[in-house]
Amino acid sequence: MKAVLALAPRLQRSGGSLTTALAVVAFAVTTAMGLSVLGGLLGFIDRADRVPEGLDSHGVSAHENAELYVILATIAVVLLVVPLVSLAGAAARMGVARRDARLATLRLLGVTAREVRVVTAVETAAQGLAGAVLGIAGYGLLMPVWTRISFQGRPFDAGELWVGFAGIGGALVVVPLVAAASALVSLRRVVVSPLGVARRQTPPALSWLRTLGLLAAVGAFGLVVGAAGGMPQMIAVALLVGLLGTVFATLNLVGPWIVGVVGRVMAAAARTPATLLAARRLTDDPRAAWRVVGGLGMAAFVAGCLSVLPMFETTGEDPAADVITRDIVTGGVLTLAIAFAVAAVSAGIMQASSVLDRKREYALQRLAGAPVELFDAARRREVLAPLLLVTGTSSGVALLLVVLVIGTSGVTNVSGLALVLGFLAGGVALMLAATESSRPLLRSVLRETVVRAD
Amino acid sequence: MSLATADPFRPPVPTTVAHPAPQVRLAARGLVKRFGATVALDGVDLDLADGESLAVMGPSGSGKSTLLHCLAGILAPDQGGVALRGRDVSSGSDRERSLLRRRHYGFVFQFGQLLSELPAVENVALPAMLLGTSRREATERARQWLASLGLAGMEGRRPGELSGGQAQRVAVARALITGPDVVFADEPTGALDQATGADVMRVLTEATRAAGASLVVVTHDESVAAWCSRRLVIVDGREVRGPLAGAR
Ligand SMILES: Nc1ncnc2c1ncn2[C@@H]1O[C@H](COP(=O)(O)OP(=O)(O)O)[C@@H](O)[C@H]1O
Ligand SMILES: [Mg+2]
Repeated sequence: MKAVLALAPRLQRSGGSLTTALAVVAFAVTTAMGLSVLGGLLGFIDRADRVPEGLDSHGVSAHENAELYVILATIAVVLLVVPLVSLAGAAARMGVARRDARLATLRLLGVTAREVRVVTAVETAAQGLAGAVLGIAGYGLLMPVWTRISFQGRPFDAGELWVGFAGIGGALVVVPLVAAASALVSLRRVVVSPLGVARRQTPPALSWLRTLGLLAAVGAFGLVVGAAGGMPQMIAVALLVGLLGTVFATLNLVGPWIVGVVGRVMAAAARTPATLLAARRLTDDPRAAWRVVGGLGMAAFVAGCLSVLPMFETTGEDPAADVITRDIVTGGVLTLAIAFAVAAVSAGIMQASSVLDRKREYALQRLAGAPVELFDAARRREVLAPLLLVTGTSSGVALLLVVLVIGTSGVTNVSGLALVLGFLAGGVALMLAATESSRPLLRSVLRETVVRAD
Repeated sequence: MSLATADPFRPPVPTTVAHPAPQVRLAARGLVKRFGATVALDGVDLDLADGESLAVMGPSGSGKSTLLHCLAGILAPDQGGVALRGRDVSSGSDRERSLLRRRHYGFVFQFGQLLSELPAVENVALPAMLLGTSRREATERARQWLASLGLAGMEGRRPGELSGGQAQRVAVARALITGPDVVFADEPTGALDQATGADVMRVLTEATRAAGASLVVVTHDESVAAWCSRRLVIVDGREVRGPLAGAR
């Protein structure tokens, strides 16, 4: 065991300093955004606690209004947790993928599965810890941005958004733990069989049964909406928020299945090498492709839910209600912007690690005369095809939920649909920009003429 | 069917045909290539005839791969030039040299040149598709090449599901599908055991000759060089001639 741990720094280096840096950045973004979102939630709770019970001069309960904010903020947190955890997971997996081959070699050399697990967990947790520290700094740096945004008639001050030392300490523990756990999950392949990685096979297609989870969750959501009238309000809200999270999570199950279907259709129809390559990549590892586009798929779901926003029009009659309306729009847009930013970071990081994983293949293809445009075109197709389909599906499901809750008026509202489309177009553009950020990396990988056996 | 009229894109039926008088296909003069202070190539001349197979030998770091890269238009030499059928091909732009490689050359590397997501048949078809051949036609040719190299039934396997020797045969098919003038192989058996390596060399030399391509094989292995019709020994970037040339 000691000998293996002594090997850890060597493995780290073989993983590549660039991958390590990318992983740390991803953990940092996760931490900074996670703490900011948590800080916002705590801020609303804090404000609600300080508002006295009872009615004001207009006969409005300020306390109830404040609690509405807490509920909405909780929904935002639920919507953001999955993209944030996905990003952290992507970062953890990236480091493991880079070290796969060498870990498999270690296994063949007789190192036990347990030892491989320990080394990987420790290393990834270390990256997570470094990311958490940077992310805490990022949370501090973002504070002046958040304190400019006004809610309930006045901006938060830094004190309200401060997550406390418990929150900071929690990040330092939770992020490395999530990192290590994701790394261990993605390690299973290596550990199950020493030859598992060396002999890669075409994985069987994912089952359509995955769609059942989503259907069940949407169905349950509809049922609860129908029965909500007869339930105590708090229970109905809690159930709906929980089910919203469940629908969201099951999208994560259905997404890879959809990506696989898109890949198979594309592969059958492909006429150009770039399309063929993109299609085979999608069918080869639909989960990986989903991790690239999934963030935006999730954001699209948020956007679909937010199509209700323009229904909350300010009337000018009731100042208190107008403040709430404006705040709901602000909060929705903010949630969406964070979801998009996290999705774009995920996409950029996944693309970079995909280029690094295929370094040797790519460089040798170029030596053999393959034009660099082949890889550019394949990457664009690989991202764009599932992106369009997945955003379509996710926002569609979200619109369905909206219809379930407030009826068709929620989606026949033209400005609501325009808002969704506008957000999605922006998100897709941001996503493509993020994947294009791997261009220089690809070029530098391809420029290597010396491809050593290593 | 004579080789002269055979469709260069189809695996030829092995026949014994008298070749026309061989002509110089690839010629290099005074190649010099430096990497910073390292002089990797220090004035190498070379003539490669039609259908000829040449083994480039020498110790590790002697400049074999650099020579291959200069000959194949991967690197532009600092001095000297390379001509394919009398046309200078060493001084073009990066894009032109890339096109030259796609059109006129085939490549077999030590390992890892096949795209891991593509099944064998698509890996072989890819270079033809890159030259504008339709997918259907390219796939059909790729199938025939795989069958003629003893890989019938493995079309759908991906590189990870092939043995080292099988993967190298796929690489040979990939190199030959476009009907290249010259095939360049850099340590094609470097990752294989002796018996498999000999098997791959047999397939490589026979298929290349039958397809009418010339062959340049970089190796430091005597038993690999034995498959070629001629050898060039370089040490410290220069050709070494005479009795010492064979000794390692
Ligand atoms: N891209 C490069 N950058 C710097 N030095 C290089 C590069 N390519 C080759 N060299 C150096 O040039 C010499 C010849 O290398 P190479 O042609 O790869 O040798 P061989 O293939 O015979 O082992 C070596 O000293 C090597 O280190
Ligand atoms: Mg070499």
